[in-house]
Amino acid sequence: MPDIYTSDWYEAVRDSINVKVAEMQGVPEGTWHVAIDIVGDGRSPYVNQGAERNFVVRIEDGRCAWYREVDGADPGVRLDFRFRGPAEEFDRIAAGLLDPIDAALRGTIKARGDMRFLMRQAEHVQVLLEAYTDGVETLWPDGRPPYDGESA
Amino acid sequence: MEFFDIMPMIRDFGLEALGLRTVMPEAQAAITFADGRPPVVLHRPDLLDRTHASIARYSGTDADLWVELKKRAIGLQDLLATGLYNLPTEATMADLTALLEGVFGDLGITPDFATKSIKVVIDELFETPELRALLYRATVEWGYPVDQAGSGVAFLTFIMWTLGNWKMVRGGTHALAKTMTQACYREGVDLIENSDVEKVIIKDGRAVGVVTRGREIRAEKCVASNADVRQTLLDLVGEDHLSPLWAKRAHAFRYGPSHVLGTPMFCLHEAPDYKSAKWDPDVNRCFYTMVGFDGPDDTIRYIRDAYSGRIPMPAAGLWVNSLWDRAQAPAGRHTATGWYFLPPASALTGAEWEDVRSTFNERFIDVWHAAAPNMTRDNIIAHRLYTPDQMEHKNRMFEGDFSNGEFAPDQLGTNRPFPEASSYRTEIDGLYFCGPSAFPGGGVHAACGYNAYKAIAEDLGLPSPVVTERGY
Amino acid sequence: MKQVCDVVIIGAGHNGLTLGAYLARSGLDVVVLERRHEEGGGLCTEELTRPGFLHNVHANYHTFVDMAPAITDLEVRENGVEYVRPEVQMASIFDDGTALTIHTDLDKTCESMARFSETDAETFRRLHTEAHGFVDLLLGTLMYQPPMSVKELTRALAAFGVEERTEFLSVRLRRETINQFLDQHFTNDRIKAHLAFHGAVCGYTNDVAGLAIGFPLLIGKIDNWHLCLGGSHRLAHALWRDLAHHGGTLISDAEVASIQVEDGRAVGVRLTTGEEISARRAVASTVDVEQTLLEFVDPTDLSPELRTRVANDVVHKDWSLFSVHAAMSELPEYTAAEFDPDVNRAWVVNLGYASTDDLDDDWRLIRKGGLPDPRPNAAVNSLYDPTDAPDGCYTGLLRQFAPYDLHGGGAGQWEGMGRWYAQRCLDVWRRHAPNLEANTFIDWAPFTPLDISRKLVNMVRGDWMMGEISLDNLLDQRPLPELGEYRTPIDRLYLAGSTQHPHGFITFGPGYNALQIMADDLDIDPWWRVI
Repeated sequence: MPDIYTSDWYEAVRDSINVKVAEMQGVPEGTWHVAIDIVGDGRSPYVNQGAERNFVVRIEDGRCAWYREVDGADPGVRLDFRFRGPAEEFDRIAAGLLDPIDAALRGTIKARGDMRFLMRQAEHVQVLLEAYTDGVETLWPDGRPPYDGESA
Repeated sequence: MEFFDIMPMIRDFGLEALGLRTVMPEAQAAITFADGRPPVVLHRPDLLDRTHASIARYSGTDADLWVELKKRAIGLQDLLATGLYNLPTEATMADLTALLEGVFGDLGITPDFATKSIKVVIDELFETPELRALLYRATVEWGYPVDQAGSGVAFLTFIMWTLGNWKMVRGGTHALAKTMTQACYREGVDLIENSDVEKVIIKDGRAVGVVTRGREIRAEKCVASNADVRQTLLDLVGEDHLSPLWAKRAHAFRYGPSHVLGTPMFCLHEAPDYKSAKWDPDVNRCFYTMVGFDGPDDTIRYIRDAYSGRIPMPAAGLWVNSLWDRAQAPAGRHTATGWYFLPPASALTGAEWEDVRSTFNERFIDVWHAAAPNMTRDNIIAHRLYTPDQMEHKNRMFEGDFSNGEFAPDQLGTNRPFPEASSYRTEIDGLYFCGPSAFPGGGVHAACGYNAYKAIAEDLGLPSPVVTERGY
Repeated sequence: MKQVCDVVIIGAGHNGLTLGAYLARSGLDVVVLERRHEEGGGLCTEELTRPGFLHNVHANYHTFVDMAPAITDLEVRENGVEYVRPEVQMASIFDDGTALTIHTDLDKTCESMARFSETDAETFRRLHTEAHGFVDLLLGTLMYQPPMSVKELTRALAAFGVEERTEFLSVRLRRETINQFLDQHFTNDRIKAHLAFHGAVCGYTNDVAGLAIGFPLLIGKIDNWHLCLGGSHRLAHALWRDLAHHGGTLISDAEVASIQVEDGRAVGVRLTTGEEISARRAVASTVDVEQTLLEFVDPTDLSPELRTRVANDVVHKDWSLFSVHAAMSELPEYTAAEFDPDVNRAWVVNLGYASTDDLDDDWRLIRKGGLPDPRPNAAVNSLYDPTDAPDGCYTGLLRQFAPYDLHGGGAGQWEGMGRWYAQRCLDVWRRHAPNLEANTFIDWAPFTPLDISRKLVNMVRGDWMMGEISLDNLLDQRPLPELGEYRTPIDRLYLAGSTQHPHGFITFGPGYNALQIMADDLDIDPWWRVI
């Protein structure tokens, strides 16, 4: 089982996504780059407060081609979407404690990009999110959310 | 807009490509009469034969002389332009007499004309009372005092050149400001509206910024003030930063009464159809038409009344721009605007001006109707009068003085606004004048701003705007 | 005047200027043509009464500040706009001297509501909190993208399971009125009246089926009402400055007579003066569909069917606005300030609608051409803008919902009624604020629905929204399904004004969304999509 936010963990997430997508019909064709900005919030032990970790995921024809940890100021590719939020929110999503749609509706994770496209591809987006939230067994070496005794 | 062809910024900033469009009406200035006698109509420079025909209805001699004087004045354009768009130089009496003799000597204009007033010059040159009345009234449009000794030179040179040189801007005069604003935007100028400047910040004797709405805007290079000399020095800088001489000069600077106008505005169904048009239909399609004057006597009384602080008889110069520009009125309607010559703002109390605003147009409409029978109250949809006290309030044109400072020998040329300040520079480092209280004065020529830039460019090592072939 | 450029834009309202500035920043040579002598369209500020009193003749409320991408992309603030967000945003004053106030501080709003109903105050807190959460997402999905269909939207909401996750977003909203939404969630008439009134000021009529779907979005920005210092026209200057600074040209007093079409493609325009401007890449019109397709385009360049559809099926708002612009020597001191002192600092004040029935009654009357007994709303911008009036004076605005066509005599009847009806509106104001004696009004000027169309001819029939706000005239159905994607049957002729999705108001949406379509068609690098 990989540690959260490590290369192995992302490999596992990628594999999980691609297994699920392989079973899907009508996934969108084309290439998209999605940024995920995990912002240190003083609660998650995996990103220092004030710092952030930036990842880019490349989606090709619905499948996850690669992910990369990047320099936030220069992701090296032209981005199509960005999801940005406090680290604890992302941790809770990865731990299956928070539904990413709820996070988006509550505005704690901000989504930018062609929302019309995401809405039109709602079924596909759902599959990607499910793979992210419960597709991988994750290790939490510095502690697992919920933090500060918050109940799950 | 008489300076259109010589204004440097129109070409330097390509304002025509930015949407500045003009019309030059054929008939330029006219006087019309309530008794229906022939009008006098002055045309643009390429149609002087029509002007000749119009004046010749009254006097062939006057017509001949007018055309000849006008041709000579047209020939002065380069000289006038060079004079306007450069820093002022001292003109001696000898220079003036030499100019008059050189240009007009063969027309009977002797060196002593240099000492005469505009009224005397007009009276000595022309025998037709109707033409004289037109010329007196036209003179006040440019702020020249008709009775002042020595002002006659300006008539022969400047006013003769200017009369008949009008272009109107499509969409209204403001369109010129808008295209210039667009040029400013393009070049990166910030234009901050609704921002009364409260003071110029002086540090170690140097202007380093301004305070507006309680906020400071720092200026690394300079501050240029378009406000008049009194506002700039006394209100914005403050006497404590001025030498006794500059403070005295600022206090002594005078506004009006030579260029104080009220602006009536009329929304019309039909454009005016004058009785005098039966002689010459051009008067109905003339750019600027004088209404309510009968001859030189009542015209000069009208001017002297206003100079003396009295409300004169209701009479006006009027223009109906919608005749040439449909954008200036709704379809099938017309817009008329005009100028009354009025006393300075302080000559009347607020209540008295309020009374003028509510009655004077009505009195004028009666006069207008007498000259143009279709100017009934039914033909006038709405009207409003904008008075000198309001101009003071709205535009900070003190006393309603269009020139931002009286045109008088001690406030003209190298004496404007006062001798020590005539180079647009002030005694405070980094502070410049760029408005009409500086040379050459009011009028839509932008020479004050252009010349101020020259002075600033010289001081700061910026590029010169001068185009050699145009001479400025 | 310039004779050739890349893109000609017809109309210099905020959408035309927004589109123009984006395209100019993209390196295109843009000319924006404006019929009037001033740019800005509804961003129109004039000294209608006395010198120094700046009256916003049309747009007064900027509610998409910091939500519309154009605000940052076009550096609106850097270009000179200063926005103020009044602390007390709105109020409703009722005949019994009570009052409700909406604040930028949610706690204060809830305290005010709790004086009428504690349950409703709590409901409002939940609604506001929820709506604030998803407002960004909704704006990105529904406002600042070319439109989706209601069907697509419904499917997506179902796929994401939104209905189960929120208390206030429901698929059935697409069939319901704002009144129904309010009845389902709130109990107090006055709270419902205020929320419905607030929707109406945004152009969302509370009795129109389907508009409930937009209501959570309205609540999401209920406390985001901004005032543009120095008058709304300042925003037009800022957009114009951005356009010009990036090489674009605005030409005023330029009335378009025709759009030139060659081989089915728009290639330029001709003005009523005979001047012509060629457009190498495209022509975009931001004025009404009727002018664009029936007047500017030659009948031979368009199918007769579409011409008939435009003539018959474009739907305009069934109510308009009557305004009174006032130059004042005193601020209103409301009797209701004894109940809630904050009403004296409220920016927009509803004077009299105490139930949704009150509003419904007026809509019914107005739709028949009747003139309601005035229940105007009052906005004194000078409360928050010291620059919009001379020292010691104030600029006031009364707005009253009113018909364009008056029963029995049509819109022409407004001609002689403006001052009379304005006086009646002022009387209502004075009844609620007795200190506003006759002599505190230095001057005032009525502005009727007829005046709206006369001044801005694209606001057909006093339609300040440039098209009805109803579900069959929103999203991809606006202004007609075949014109809902900003394209027209004529190649390279685009519709980019408030006739298009999302709608009128200072949203920047139509211009921004048309830009997305044009960028795709014209192969323009969408630098603004860098995310």
